[in-house]
Amino acid sequence: MLNKADSNAVWFIVLALVFFAIGGLLTTVAPPLIDKSWAAPFSNSDPSKGLTGQLRPLTELEQRGRAIYVREGCWYCHTQQTRTLLADTKRSGWRGVDSPVSTPDEFVYDSPHLFGTKRTGPDLSRVGGKYDTQWHRTHFRNPRDLVPGSIMPPYPWIANNESEFQAIVAYLQTLGRAKNWRPENDYEK
Amino acid sequence: MAAEKEIPSGASSATASHRPVHSDTAAKWFLMSSVVYFFVVGVIALIIAAKFVWPELLGTIPMFSYGRLRPLHVNGMLFGWLLAADMGLVFYFVPRLCGVKLYSEKLGVATAVLWNAIVLGAVVSLLMGWNQGFEYAELPLVLDVAVVVAWILFGVNVFGTVFTRRYPQMYVSLWYTMGCILWTAFVYLTGNFATLFTTGVNQANLNWMYVHNAVGLIFTPVGLALAYYFIPKAGNIPLYSHKLSMIGFWSLAFFYVWTGAHHMIHGPISQWLQTISIAFSLMLLLPVWTVVYNFFATMKGHWPLTRDNVPLKFLMSGVVFYLLTCFQGPMHSLRSVNAIVSKTDWIPGHAHMAVLGAFSFFAIAGVYYSIPRIFHTKLYSDALANWSYWLAMIGGIGFFVTLWLGGFWQGWQWNNPAIPFIDTVVALKPIWAVRFFSGVLIFGGIATFLYNILATVIHAGPRPQEAVHA
Repeated sequence: MLNKADSNAVWFIVLALVFFAIGGLLTTVAPPLIDKSWAAPFSNSDPSKGLTGQLRPLTELEQRGRAIYVREGCWYCHTQQTRTLLADTKRSGWRGVDSPVSTPDEFVYDSPHLFGTKRTGPDLSRVGGKYDTQWHRTHFRNPRDLVPGSIMPPYPWIANNESEFQAIVAYLQTLGRAKNWRPENDYEK
Repeated sequence: MAAEKEIPSGASSATASHRPVHSDTAAKWFLMSSVVYFFVVGVIALIIAAKFVWPELLGTIPMFSYGRLRPLHVNGMLFGWLLAADMGLVFYFVPRLCGVKLYSEKLGVATAVLWNAIVLGAVVSLLMGWNQGFEYAELPLVLDVAVVVAWILFGVNVFGTVFTRRYPQMYVSLWYTMGCILWTAFVYLTGNFATLFTTGVNQANLNWMYVHNAVGLIFTPVGLALAYYFIPKAGNIPLYSHKLSMIGFWSLAFFYVWTGAHHMIHGPISQWLQTISIAFSLMLLLPVWTVVYNFFATMKGHWPLTRDNVPLKFLMSGVVFYLLTCFQGPMHSLRSVNAIVSKTDWIPGHAHMAVLGAFSFFAIAGVYYSIPRIFHTKLYSDALANWSYWLAMIGGIGFFVTLWLGGFWQGWQWNNPAIPFIDTVVALKPIWAVRFFSGVLIFGGIATFLYNILATVIHAGPRPQEAVHA
């Protein structure tokens, strides 16, 4: 069968595509059909079933903020996933409360997805509500003013553009808020 | 079934009167533009490496911020330099392996012109921040469509040549080239178009199927096609085993596509899908080790050739890097190892060894080998070529090893939540400084490579006839 592909180009093309298509289809088309949680937005109002909360689509302002996040390539250095590692749940946690791990149902409305592959700066999957607007303004203007040793670039064109600044902060404050994992009065605006 | 040992050309069986005269116009266009992009994008690479050391550098200019230059570096190196050089070299060796002229030099030149337009369009859009937000698929939709058109034109030319070939037996480099063209079509459509109709984890799964297979089913097969052609050619040694090359090719065709989800180990994606991707990642050792064994067995008794033969030096170093990077890959996918190295600076160390250490070394070797032959002349300077090798090699090793050590250390620190995150950033600063200076050495290698190739081409015309090298 494979020897024939040595000298018969049509046979070669058929075999190469079949070999590829088996894994290609099973790993792309099949998984979302098998695991329905990929497409069902998180929603739980019964505390006995775990954390309560609801995933809601972004408002127009938050979406504009997200577009800025994409445009500036924030996702090259900041991941958005609290992985199933103890250290991740501690690092994403807040004031001694461990963060829940990220689950597919928290990202159903994300496009483009922003899970990221490199963590040059800290993970942002639960950053929503941790820092207030004034903190973000100072931080965007010069990160080293608040975090000595940081290598994040300054973003004066965002900090000095009120409409862009409001949008990106609004977006950041949504991150990780679908699950109510912190006390209700513990969130910054 | 052919004899066990063969030198890629097939031309040994053709008489001189049948041997076609290759004009190589399309190859020239692709190769010359790609080496220039290699240099230009090398400058971008140095700037972003410098930003890790001096974060304020060019910091107030949106166009030159890290988040815009990084995709320009990645796309520029992958598509402006490496894939363009690969396509040029494919236009060089496919007609020679088929014993006929290229199907259409005009079509090839048109493809090269379109490709250059895409690269320039990419520079403008990425600097402007017109970024779609998908890794390796940042380019705006209109450029994605242009890439598809260019790829179809490229495929028509290669398959047109293969279908009119004079030698019935197809050498292994032809398989890898054809496989690359076919698989890339689907992989590219998945990563650039199917993602647009999905969201969340489903979209991420498609994105990483593309990202992983951009390396595994685009750069790996075309890179191995180059290695399979140029190692026996540059050393004038027959390939050790046809059978091993078959096992390597068909196992790659079957195993590679399954591994995309290993980019989300421990992440928010189904555990069973993670396990499948881990299992297939481990199976990738099979195609890698058969290919590498074949190359090493081919070189057996011929290693002294690498002393003076610069293309062979690049090729065999590339094979070693290929072996190492493809050992790292499956190991990273193991959950225990992944918990340490994933998302750290280890990963750019790994990625650069694949794309620079292995596949760019193959392409550099191919350019050094083919340019003098295409222009009927000798390489401008063998000494300078040797310099380019050692600069790229020493810089490359400095880069890879530093980032592995630093990344592993970083991963250990992350896994101890008592260490504040910012301390793990500060700890890496010496690592990033060494990475920058290693990058300067690599850039020196690229600059001498570009100069040597340009000087060869410029001096090609007026050389006296006796200097002409067949």
